[in-house]
Amino acid sequence: MLPQRMKKVMTDNPKKLANLIDLVNLPSTLREFMGQSQTSRLGCFKRVWSYIKENNLQDPNNKNLVNCDEKLKSVLLGKPQVELTELPTLIKLHFPKQPR
Amino acid sequence: MGKLPPSLRSANFAVNTLIKTPSPSPPPPPTSKPHYYPKKSQSPKKKPTSNTEPQLPSSIVAFDSTSLSDAKTLFNSLISNSRNPTSDNKFYNAVLQSFSSNSTLQDSIFFLNHMIKVHPPFSPDRFTYHVLLIQSCKSVDLSLSPVHQVLNLMTTNGFPPNKVSTDIAVRTLCSSGHEEQAIELVKELSSKDSPPDTYTYNFIVRHLCKNRPLSTMNNFIKEMREGFDIKPDLVTYTIMIDNVCNSKNLREATRLLGVLSEEGYKPDCYVYNTIMKGYCMLSQGGEVLGVYKKMQEEGVKPDLVTYNTLIYGLSKSGRVKDAKKFLNVMMEEGHVPDAVTYTSLMNGMCREADPLGAVALLEKMEARGCAPNSCTYNTLLHGLCKGRLLDKGMKLFDVMKQNSTKLETGSYGTFLRALCRNGRVAEAYDVFDYAIESKSLTDVAAYTTLESTLKWLKKAREQGLVI
Repeated sequence: MLPQRMKKVMTDNPKKLANLIDLVNLPSTLREFMGQSQTSRLGCFKRVWSYIKENNLQDPNNKNLVNCDEKLKSVLLGKPQVELTELPTLIKLHFPKQPR
Repeated sequence: MGKLPPSLRSANFAVNTLIKTPSPSPPPPPTSKPHYYPKKSQSPKKKPTSNTEPQLPSSIVAFDSTSLSDAKTLFNSLISNSRNPTSDNKFYNAVLQSFSSNSTLQDSIFFLNHMIKVHPPFSPDRFTYHVLLIQSCKSVDLSLSPVHQVLNLMTTNGFPPNKVSTDIAVRTLCSSGHEEQAIELVKELSSKDSPPDTYTYNFIVRHLCKNRPLSTMNNFIKEMREGFDIKPDLVTYTIMIDNVCNSKNLREATRLLGVLSEEGYKPDCYVYNTIMKGYCMLSQGGEVLGVYKKMQEEGVKPDLVTYNTLIYGLSKSGRVKDAKKFLNVMMEEGHVPDAVTYTSLMNGMCREADPLGAVALLEKMEARGCAPNSCTYNTLLHGLCKGRLLDKGMKLFDVMKQNSTKLETGSYGTFLRALCRNGRVAEAYDVFDYAIESKSLTDVAAYTTLESTLKWLKKAREQGLVI
């Protein structure tokens, strides 16, 4: 039943979907990291996650933790270590709700 | 050509085609129509190039321009350039079809006249006019006037519309969303002398079921019965019952069953299968057993679908024991259980919190030479995660990765939750990657699920439910 429910959420709440995939002008910190001036929240998340994988930033003892390098720190509130669990929340901070 | 009595027309036509076209293309018998029809509607540019005419360069038959004069010039050069123009009508029909695919109906008719004028050996046959008929049906707006134009053209040229024409017109009209016009045309043609055959009739009924309210179809059936004495047959009833079951209208289904027997039809295997499916749709899987008993009383032999539906229904309503029994029964009857059978049964076992039994069944089915499909794997993954056997689930997921099996939304969500609950967030991220990589889900769907699962995890941690 999950697909139907998801579909319902999507159709009931187009705004929710929109703030996930709409392109947004990025703040300067994020712009440097992404290498582009516009992206969506989803695109940003995927970029950060693939950056973590490419640079092997997951803690070898506990894969659920990410040891940030300087570049990643600049995006994730300057934290030296973040949990994978909070990654979506941290990225969401860069994408404040836009008053329409 | 003068008017001929209907009895002679078909014979006349058959002789004509035999003389004109050496290749066997007599009017297709009704049964082969569905096979014949798609040939006509194939991408027109491919057809002339493929097998119709090897002696002519293939590229020239592609009409890039929609202008009539360009097409005429092209055709003229085509005829004058080849020393021995083909006598095969198929070629000219393909040329016409190619042109008609991106021109207007009027231009196509002019072009056909031009073809006849420039190249007298070509005399259009029924299929030539059917090309025009298809085009006219596509260009129907609210009135049927273009179709009438072509039908009149056909009649004046000695090919009055027959069953095949009706079928082609109806199919084209329906597939371009003009069901009302299709009904109008059928009624009109029935009042002349090309009534729809059972295939056309059932096609309309099926199409109406899918795309129009129930009352439209009922009206159509009533009008055909009263106006032209064309009655629904057993297949029609099966379509109708299937339709009302899909829309969960049990009362109508029961009524139809009554009508069916009043009309003197004896329900066959397919009708019973449909009823069984209907009960499953209505979440009354338990009722399938009653239907099965009825079948046995009536002496109707169950087929593979019957058993699959039976096992599915029983599994769904939590009667796995009975379902297992029927797996043996069907094998004794000489049916080979397929992936659907096994997956239904596994689904039932997982519902009964016996995922290990389901995995054992997977091994058994593979040993019997039946390959599991993506549904099987997803059912098992779902069951294992629900049954808190995450390590086994992980192993299964590895197998799925090797076979590049796609994840389904349901099992993906369950899997993510199970992983997060056990503090294996990193692996959840891997599953997310796989879902996107294998194109199982859209990026948005995959991400939304991941995000909400992580949110749920955070909440659960705050409440101390998960470490």
